[in-house]
Amino acid sequence: MSYQHPKTTQRVLESLVPVICPPEAHHLGAAIVADMAAQFDSVPAILQRALAAGFLAYDLGAIPRHGRRAHKLGPVQAEAYFSSWEHGITPLHREFAARMTSLMSLACYEQPEMMERVGYRVGPWIEQVTKKRLAVFSDDIKKQQAQLLAPDPLRPAAKKKEVA
Amino acid sequence: MAVAALHEGARPNNVFTRHDIHNDTVLDCDVVIVGSGAGGSPVAAELAEAGYDVVVLEEGSYYQTRDFTANTSQMVRQLYRDGGASLAIGNPPIMFQEGRAVGGSTVINGGMSWRTPDNILARWREETGADDLTPDLLAPYYERVEKRIHAAPMDKEAIGNDNWLLKKGADAKGWETIGNIRNQVHCVGSNRCAFGCPTGAKQSALVSYIPRALHFGARVYADVRVNRITFHGKRATGVIGKCGTHNVVVRAKLVVASCGAIHTPALLARSGLKSRSGLLGGNLSLHPNVKVVAIFEEDVTGWQGAHQAFQVREFVESGLGCFAAVNLPPSVVAMSVPHRGKQLGVLMEQYNHMVVAGLLCEDTTTGHVKVINGRPQAFYQLSEHDAANMQRGLVLLAELLFAAGAKKLLLPFHDAKELHSADDAHRFLDRPIPPKGWEVVTVHMMGTAKMGTDRTTSVTDSFGFMHDVDRLLISDASVFPSPCRVNPMETIMALATRSAGHIIDNSRRYLG
Repeated sequence: MSYQHPKTTQRVLESLVPVICPPEAHHLGAAIVADMAAQFDSVPAILQRALAAGFLAYDLGAIPRHGRRAHKLGPVQAEAYFSSWEHGITPLHREFAARMTSLMSLACYEQPEMMERVGYRVGPWIEQVTKKRLAVFSDDIKKQQAQLLAPDPLRPAAKKKEVA
Repeated sequence: MAVAALHEGARPNNVFTRHDIHNDTVLDCDVVIVGSGAGGSPVAAELAEAGYDVVVLEEGSYYQTRDFTANTSQMVRQLYRDGGASLAIGNPPIMFQEGRAVGGSTVINGGMSWRTPDNILARWREETGADDLTPDLLAPYYERVEKRIHAAPMDKEAIGNDNWLLKKGADAKGWETIGNIRNQVHCVGSNRCAFGCPTGAKQSALVSYIPRALHFGARVYADVRVNRITFHGKRATGVIGKCGTHNVVVRAKLVVASCGAIHTPALLARSGLKSRSGLLGGNLSLHPNVKVVAIFEEDVTGWQGAHQAFQVREFVESGLGCFAAVNLPPSVVAMSVPHRGKQLGVLMEQYNHMVVAGLLCEDTTTGHVKVINGRPQAFYQLSEHDAANMQRGLVLLAELLFAAGAKKLLLPFHDAKELHSADDAHRFLDRPIPPKGWEVVTVHMMGTAKMGTDRTTSVTDSFGFMHDVDRLLISDASVFPSPCRVNPMETIMALATRSAGHIIDNSRRYLG
């Protein structure tokens, strides 16, 4: 992975964990922020730069109202400040808040502890149904694989030698 | 042959990746195909079997079934372009997803395998002047595709509770429900279609057409991004791309662009091509769709069961393509709802009681794709008409879900309140909701290199060959003249097969 959160992005994201994630996930903050770095790694560089600018704007934007950067706000002020972006006067404010909520929520419920908590135990399920499929339907699976490799020309009469 | 040998085990000798390309590389072949999804892979398989030397270039990486794990965000990063965060700019912005891996979007789609309906083909004939786009003339190509990808109804025991609840609601309303046809061999309901089928049941191009193409001698180069097509006069002669820092040059007698409806027009534009119709990159339609989350008292555990086993097709003629249950992993549900903090936790505790249902709209407006700094950017403004149609669809979907026993419904709007009855839905949705208030997504992009017989109103001929350019075939949903109403994969494959037949029939012209 080549992407690493810029310092401001890292700090803002850490400060948003208690705002966006449910209380039972707050202790997973480091893993959630790391997961978001992996998400940002897969977006185009131009978008990464836009995100960095967005986080900087978010961080500095708290100063006029709260007298300090967003990542340094206490819980009540942090909640109020994020909410002011959610209902912001420009679509950019609203879009930034909505996308951060989405991406951090995604990262939050990607944590194994959170998946377990909501009863999503898909790994063992995949293993179970895969075994069942191979055991019960192996003849049909083999038949399909044979079909996929069997000669069946689209134009049986055509010969490549026609090409000069 | 051992079970699953086609898509598990050692990488085939004729699949090359970034680990194999250590220098600038020049390749010669008969046919170079850019893109390995629904449009590119059938052409590759058919022409390779006919004896031609085929090279397939794919920007994404090569994975096998064993690589598809339960780690959703990792799968999204590996298999989706831009980590699944592609946006069509408009108000609202529309998030769209494209596959970026060997097998293309077929690796991450739901596997719905439907022929384009007869009345849509009739409309296409009118729009294109292509009299041969008839159900009868296309039937042999559809049949061939259906055999290859094993399009079949679902095994009943693989159908999960969320789908049965959808059917229960539709039955209660007296609405038509059909069993879905999907490209699968005994799908066992891991419900991970969108993240790479981990059981190997879904017959994506990765495990069907690509192995076939490889078997008949095609070469697949993964991790290669094609920058432009090369020409000698008006004749396409190959492509130039990059694999990491190394140049990859392919010289070919025929070039096939199969990058999907967003990236194909961008590749053509980067190559300096224009259409005298002015439609290259225009005419973008995308089947906007919206999702709702219904909470039931009973246990649903929708992730144990097949994806979209049924479709409600009652309202297709009025522009609502279908309603379907589309289970999503908890992380994707969490990212799709406006909740956060404690509220999000309370909602997600009910995850195993959720049915996520979606509706697809046949859009009546179009957007366009522009190339900015070499990258495509889609622009699409949801129309008032289509927003109103989706709003009507949401009322109907809410009626269905409450008839099935839902206790609560979450709607796809910012700040939307929870609904507790069908009456609630009527009351809430009776007011106009402006397009900008919607949360819309799509996976069906179409139409940006429209086919037709008149070069002043279309980009390609009815086989997908670009007008005014020699030996350049476009084989993907770009050539659709308008929305196909159903899931487009099978039609893309059928048209690709038809184009391959046309090339073989006219080999002197295209490959001589």
